[in-house]
Amino acid sequence: MTENEATVAAVDWEAYEREASAALAAANSPPELDGARVRYLGRKSELAQALRGVRDRESGMLLNGIRERLEAAVTEREQRLEDEELDHRLRDEFVDVTLPGEQLAVGHLHPITQVRRIVEDSFLGLGYEIWDDREVETVEYNFDKLAFAPTHSSRSPRDTFYFDETHLLRTETSPSQIHVLEKQAPPIYMVSIGRVYRRDAITATRYPIFHQFEGLAVDEGITLADLKGTLLHVMRALYGPERQVRFRTHFFPFTEPSIEPDVSCGICGGVGCRTCKYSGWLEMGGAGVVDPQVFQNVDVDPERWSGFAFGCGLERAAQLRHNIPDIRLLWDGDLRVLRQF
Amino acid sequence: MRVPLSWLREYVPIEMPIDELTEKLSIATAEVEGLERIGVPDADGNLERFRVGRVLEAEKHPNADRLQLCRVDIGEGEPRQIVCGAWNFGPGATVAVALPGAVLPGGLELERRKVRGELSDGMILAEDEVELGPDHAGIMVLAEGPEPGTPLAEVLPLVEDVLVLEPTGNRPDLLAVYGIAREVAALQAVPLGPWPGSDPGPVPNRQVEVEVADFEGCPRYIGRLFENVRIGPSPLWLKARLLAAGMRPIANVVDITNYVMLALGNPLHAFDFDTLGGGRIVVRRARNDEKLRTLDGVERRLEPDDLLIADAERAIALAGIMGGEETEIGESTAKVLLEAANFEPFTIFRTSERLRLRTEGSNRWEKGVDPYLAAPAAELATQLLRDLAGADWTAQADVHAGLPERPVVCFRPERADEVIGLETPEHDQYMLLGRLGFDRDGGNVVVPTWRARDISREIDVVEEVARFRLEDVPFTLPLRRAMFGSLTREQRLRRRVEEALVGLGFAETYTPSLVADDETAWKLPEPIAVELTALRTSLLPSLVEAARRNVDAGAGRIALFEIARVYFSNGELPNERLHLAAIAQGGFARAKGVVETVYEALKAEPRFERGEHHLLHPGKTARTSAGVLGELNPRVLPGEWGAVELDLELLFSESREPVAYEDVITYPAVRQDLAFVVPEEIEAGELVDAAREAAGPELREVEIFDVYRGEQVGEGKKSIAFSVAFQSPERTLSDEDAAALREKIADALAKRFGAILRSA
Ligand SMILES: [Zn+2]
Repeated sequence: MTENEATVAAVDWEAYEREASAALAAANSPPELDGARVRYLGRKSELAQALRGVRDRESGMLLNGIRERLEAAVTEREQRLEDEELDHRLRDEFVDVTLPGEQLAVGHLHPITQVRRIVEDSFLGLGYEIWDDREVETVEYNFDKLAFAPTHSSRSPRDTFYFDETHLLRTETSPSQIHVLEKQAPPIYMVSIGRVYRRDAITATRYPIFHQFEGLAVDEGITLADLKGTLLHVMRALYGPERQVRFRTHFFPFTEPSIEPDVSCGICGGVGCRTCKYSGWLEMGGAGVVDPQVFQNVDVDPERWSGFAFGCGLERAAQLRHNIPDIRLLWDGDLRVLRQF
Repeated sequence: MRVPLSWLREYVPIEMPIDELTEKLSIATAEVEGLERIGVPDADGNLERFRVGRVLEAEKHPNADRLQLCRVDIGEGEPRQIVCGAWNFGPGATVAVALPGAVLPGGLELERRKVRGELSDGMILAEDEVELGPDHAGIMVLAEGPEPGTPLAEVLPLVEDVLVLEPTGNRPDLLAVYGIAREVAALQAVPLGPWPGSDPGPVPNRQVEVEVADFEGCPRYIGRLFENVRIGPSPLWLKARLLAAGMRPIANVVDITNYVMLALGNPLHAFDFDTLGGGRIVVRRARNDEKLRTLDGVERRLEPDDLLIADAERAIALAGIMGGEETEIGESTAKVLLEAANFEPFTIFRTSERLRLRTEGSNRWEKGVDPYLAAPAAELATQLLRDLAGADWTAQADVHAGLPERPVVCFRPERADEVIGLETPEHDQYMLLGRLGFDRDGGNVVVPTWRARDISREIDVVEEVARFRLEDVPFTLPLRRAMFGSLTREQRLRRRVEEALVGLGFAETYTPSLVADDETAWKLPEPIAVELTALRTSLLPSLVEAARRNVDAGAGRIALFEIARVYFSNGELPNERLHLAAIAQGGFARAKGVVETVYEALKAEPRFERGEHHLLHPGKTARTSAGVLGELNPRVLPGEWGAVELDLELLFSESREPVAYEDVITYPAVRQDLAFVVPEEIEAGELVDAAREAAGPELREVEIFDVYRGEQVGEGKKSIAFSVAFQSPERTLSDEDAAALREKIADALAKRFGAILRSA
């Protein structure tokens, strides 16, 4: 029996491992853990010494097994202690969650653009194309081809901005009807959106420049009822699913029958209030069945094709949707206003 | 059009609640502006305090020379003492009395009070005090008959409801109480009363001398001569109706012409016959330089297009628009020539437009009045002139070149159903059309004369049916056999630009497309304000102003953008282009960052060159192929501002949309930093372009990350550091490949710019 064999034999390794495991598990900080590790696994530990003296395979397997298990226990304990320490630190790092966050900038689409997109998306959904047409027009396209009588008051330079006898700023988006009918053969489903101009003084309710959306549907068998259903769809997209639509008779040169659509007042729910002048209804624009004369003006056969057209103001829609009392607020570029939307 | 309901009821019964009627009228007939109650307030028994009185005694007030002290029987047994300032009555007169507590129109409440020491227990009323006339010269002396104490409201129209309608331009027939009555009859399915007025007595044999030289401008002229006319005030009922309808009563003859116009819609005119040269009427166009002083006292210079009423010598009226001063009816007029004519709309419109002279008459003529209407209008006026002015009708003329036939229009009730999208029984359709004055003639309908101008086609008749069915029209959608809707590429990219800018913290704004002045041919000769004169050719100036207003309002982190059209001269019509402009606090780097981000959002790569712009800092202005960007010249707006204006069409043309995939995963990139020392005046962009050109597509990325000046690089020079990535989609680049590429770049830059590669 050699000395080393005596050393291996002299130690109760089962008890050593039990004792070491208990010491590692009891370590409550990295230094304590390190202390226990040095004592039971360090170069001068009984285990290390015994391992250095091992000669036979059986003792080697026994001692190496103990060493591996104890090293695993150290790693595990280390991990545990780190976790606990991190938990502890995170608990201390609380913030006042009610303080403001980092100032990141997000901008704002103008309410007219927001309304324009609702209109565009509704009509895209119905299968319409969106048109963006010219704003400087000729008398021919703005009035003549739309069948305006020579005495129609809109032709007056008191109502319309003329550059000269034949050129003007379009007074509605309706010239697009002619442009599209000249360019495309029916069926046509289109909405033209853009700026229009009327000679009005600037007030809380009127601005000489404003935006319209003008729709045109030309197909076989189009009816006034189709117009009513279409407008109901769009008004509900703009103002909510509970809205109602009604028609009142009117006159426009390029539609026959002509109507004015009303949408039920959202403020009073239709019983009457100041906004709707106690009628329960809000005027939305103009509409009607395309006049056969317009079809003849662009060589479309009115016996085969029928259609409807309508035009509404985007400013009015934006004002109603967002409760904006003064149209000038839409044109001032005032960030106190724009940042609300 | 103001329609007093008492007047309307004379022509048609009102059988439904008035609210329901106004609602139905607004849907089927014309916009209803409102229902106004005018006259004496009708609340809290106020009307009972207005009574018929009989003056028992009237003497001078003991303490006031201008006042009368009256004792008035108002049916109470004991007469009341009332102080009165008028002297146009005496004992026995039947008068209108308001008792203490009565509230007058306008809100004044009467009190029992002492006037110069004498008790006044009420008030004897003048017509203006109860809104029955304009006159305050004396009190109202009523016709004898009603007993003292009779409620005044039974004798006088103290309260009137006025329906205010705004008919559309195609319906001049609705600018008449009788025309509205016809619609009310159709809405209620009740009969309409007969035409008001009829010729009294025998038609005179004598002719009024009328010559119509221009039947195109004047298709019909009825002239009637009246003699022994007694000019004086109109009766109260007539004054009250004119006032309620919004016209000021003047004297009987003129009031009658206005009354007939309001009742039937045909404007009339009355001349003082004794002032007519040669006693004849000539309807003709004006001669060059002819002049006429109109009733408003203005001397009008006439043009050959203007239609005139003339006598044998001179112009006496602007046809259909306004009479002349010299032939006006006056207090001493004894012979009246009544004109019930018809004028062609465009002639009247053109003259009224040129002279900027709009009257109740011209407003009707320019919409097109029925030439058949002249006859009933003349008849009603004749009857009223006889009844109210004691006039004798002594001569007449009715000159025309044949009146138009009533239009006959093919009408298929099933066509109406097709257009409306709703079935209406044939019988109901013909019934309705009948009430509106149409006659059925087999498969045709014959249009009433007063709608002849408006209705000439089947679709016009369909509208007549449709407007009475609007409430029942169902909600359907087109059958949509061939519909396809999607945004165009430009519309999609525009939205992307909007989103990108919003993401960068910009607020979108809208500014007017008209500006004070711009270098454009598109200027309005008659703007409504100098700042709205010319179509703009650039958005930036408007945004600068918006930014300035926001500075003044104390806003922080100002960042605005707008997408709108600008207008460049280009032949017959301007070249309208969609521009994007943006302005933000932050100087050149901000502007450039914005442009780079917008390009990136569009999958496009900008190339920057030095540029110039009158609003921008001369040393800090760049351009890309789509527009300009830079720092605002501090003279334009104090502080550091970045500004951008790009043409969207040009911008979109550079978009690599849709993007094609490039393989950057299979073979790794070789990354290196390169620094070149170059003369100060060389711009970094030039180096990048030259490097790309030299290295070709295997130079995948070049980014400038540092610019250094100092002793190490020497006076007048700078060092620009790039981070580059070499990569091939086909193979892994070796160190040698990378070195060769670097060599190519270094050689090119050395040759072109004298650049020295500092490090590898
Ligand atoms: Zn309401």
